[in-house]
Amino acid sequence: MEPITRRAALGAALAVPAAVAFASTARAVSPTEIDLFFPVPVQGNLANKMRELIDRFNAEHPDVKATAVYTGSYDETNLKTRAAIKAGRPPAAVIMSANFVREYVINEEADPFDPLIEHSGKTPDDFFDEFWPALKSNAVIGRRVYGVPFQNSTPLLYYNVTAFTEAGLDPDHPPATWADWIAAAQALTKSSGGQTQRWGLMFPATYDYCGWIVSGLAMSNGGQYFNHDYGGEVFYNAPSTLGALGMLDAMVNRLKVTPPGVSDANACTSAFFAGHSGMIVLSTGSLSFVRENMKTPYRVAFMPRNVRNAAPIGGASLILPKGNSPERQAAAWTLISWLTSPEVAGEWSRFTGYFAPRKAAYDLPEMKEYLQQHPDAKVALDQLQYAAPWFDTYNTVAVRKAMEDQVQAILSAKTTPADAVQAAQKNADELLRPYVEETALKRLA
Amino acid sequence: MRAEWRLLGLLAASAAALIWAVPFAWMAVAALRPGVPADIASLTPAGPFGLRNFNDAWQSGNFPLWYFNTFVVCGGILAVQLVTITAAGYALARITFPGRDILFALFLLQLLLVPTLLIVPNLETLVSLHLYDTLLWIMAPYFASAFGTFLMRQTFRTIPRDYEEAAMLEGATVPALIRHVLVPLARPGLAAFAIVSVTAHWNEFLWPLMAVSSPSRQVLTVGLASFASGAEAGSAWGVVAAGTFLVAGPLLLLFLIFQRRFVASFLFSGIK
Repeated sequence: MEPITRRAALGAALAVPAAVAFASTARAVSPTEIDLFFPVPVQGNLANKMRELIDRFNAEHPDVKATAVYTGSYDETNLKTRAAIKAGRPPAAVIMSANFVREYVINEEADPFDPLIEHSGKTPDDFFDEFWPALKSNAVIGRRVYGVPFQNSTPLLYYNVTAFTEAGLDPDHPPATWADWIAAAQALTKSSGGQTQRWGLMFPATYDYCGWIVSGLAMSNGGQYFNHDYGGEVFYNAPSTLGALGMLDAMVNRLKVTPPGVSDANACTSAFFAGHSGMIVLSTGSLSFVRENMKTPYRVAFMPRNVRNAAPIGGASLILPKGNSPERQAAAWTLISWLTSPEVAGEWSRFTGYFAPRKAAYDLPEMKEYLQQHPDAKVALDQLQYAAPWFDTYNTVAVRKAMEDQVQAILSAKTTPADAVQAAQKNADELLRPYVEETALKRLA
Repeated sequence: MRAEWRLLGLLAASAAALIWAVPFAWMAVAALRPGVPADIASLTPAGPFGLRNFNDAWQSGNFPLWYFNTFVVCGGILAVQLVTITAAGYALARITFPGRDILFALFLLQLLLVPTLLIVPNLETLVSLHLYDTLLWIMAPYFASAFGTFLMRQTFRTIPRDYEEAAMLEGATVPALIRHVLVPLARPGLAAFAIVSVTAHWNEFLWPLMAVSSPSRQVLTVGLASFASGAEAGSAWGVVAAGTFLVAGPLLLLFLIFQRRFVASFLFSGIK
């Protein structure tokens, strides 16, 4: 009785007539109630859009009653999910930053999707083949499916067309290599009286973003940055990483084409909109926000390469936290299948700018039309062929920060790339040791 | 000489006040500028100005519900706290019992704990109490306040015992004594505590985010974040500023109304 009265009160508080709420919950077959934790990692009215989607899902599925629970940023969502699991109240499903999935598997806090996938008549391999291959490494762990990709991104180079023309650069041929990139940044930088009026390049270097972009640069420089198959190794002091940091150091400290210190994403977009930065590196997830707010012409391009084209995946996957009843898991699977269906995934992609992880979304006529109207979204999609896995290790956040702290120190001219890579590697090894000793270095006899 | 020092002090205070006021001034300016203007950092922009941001922010969420929940949480916490800290403060200030000083030291020790540390233990306790996902859950961990107890103990100790002795002679019981003699005399201390408590819980983000899940139990700070924060993209500053105004508004208003009393309370209790 207790939950019904409480729910009725809730209905009244939401300005839904209490009688209706009561009547619908008192129906003979009561729907399975599930909760979905979701973060809002990009700007825009995404929280409302998500609730709208869930309302539609509930209307189409009378046997499930899903509630969308806003849970902050990616990191806060992770914290809340962990706390809820530990407290014995796991949510039925979570939209989790894709690079935390491996940790949930290592900590045995997530259930695999395999039984649910098999129950719906597919093999896990066939199921995952419906998604872009680059997403696999962050979702299929130990040959089992632990994440179903929902919204995904890669970094993109956004550039101001007017500034390009003004600086004598060809907007039809954006920089493709690091050498071109540096030259373009130099040409775009404009200063008068010792004050920089326009920077050549800006990129966000706050936690999370910083590691993401640096891993992309290391991969463009031919490296791996971390072991994509084993959570106990990072390649922070490899030449490919050192070279990437050297490039950033040159941009900021030697050539002064990038502002010193740590900029956040807001500072980058504000500067880009105001014409104070000729180029910015930003997530494809920001496409819609930039499109709506940039007043002068802009275009997007692949991340420039040094040794090869590469861009790390970002974004989030749906996971099943451990500790739910089979009924709740089945209901969660209904919701997850619906959210990641080509139609809904495509709609979410058009609304946000993220690319749709399910390949079939791009066969839909509305998606083809959208790509035709917005060539910038097409670039993001084309870059997918060069996409590489997102940083995921044991103790992901701390290990990621071991490098980010060093990069931030380089941007503030407090250390050199050579010292930075040694310090980052040492700290990361320290953090990874407990896992390494339990796995790769475990004494077997 | 003294006049010069006074002037210098006044200048220093004004400079500090000015620095402190800049973010507020910018927030006010940004909130009134629709869209994402290029010179968003400017304190003295040319315009255009408008109230569209407030409308957008208001439409972004269920503000009336968030206000209601926040009022319930802050009011509920404060109401219980006033009772518990008065009783505990009295006990520690006036009643002699074995281990009193150690108990008091333990109270103070609790102030050193970072609340984040207690998220998981608190969640576990409240799940076992069947308080999962209720407003009461947000409030419960704050019903006792080490800081409040400390403050009331100190306040009671400044009150001469003569008053109590006189009341005792008239036959007052301990509860009557607290209610009719000590509490009226300690009112400035209670008021100072009320300000600290309400401000802290009004602004709190992490615990309400962790503690409740139902959208119908969301508080202002979490609601604001649901449309104001974005890690992967830039922000629509104007809407964020307007939303922040909506969240901070009632507190600012309360402060303006009770300004003189607040200042008097803080001077009395010595909290800065």
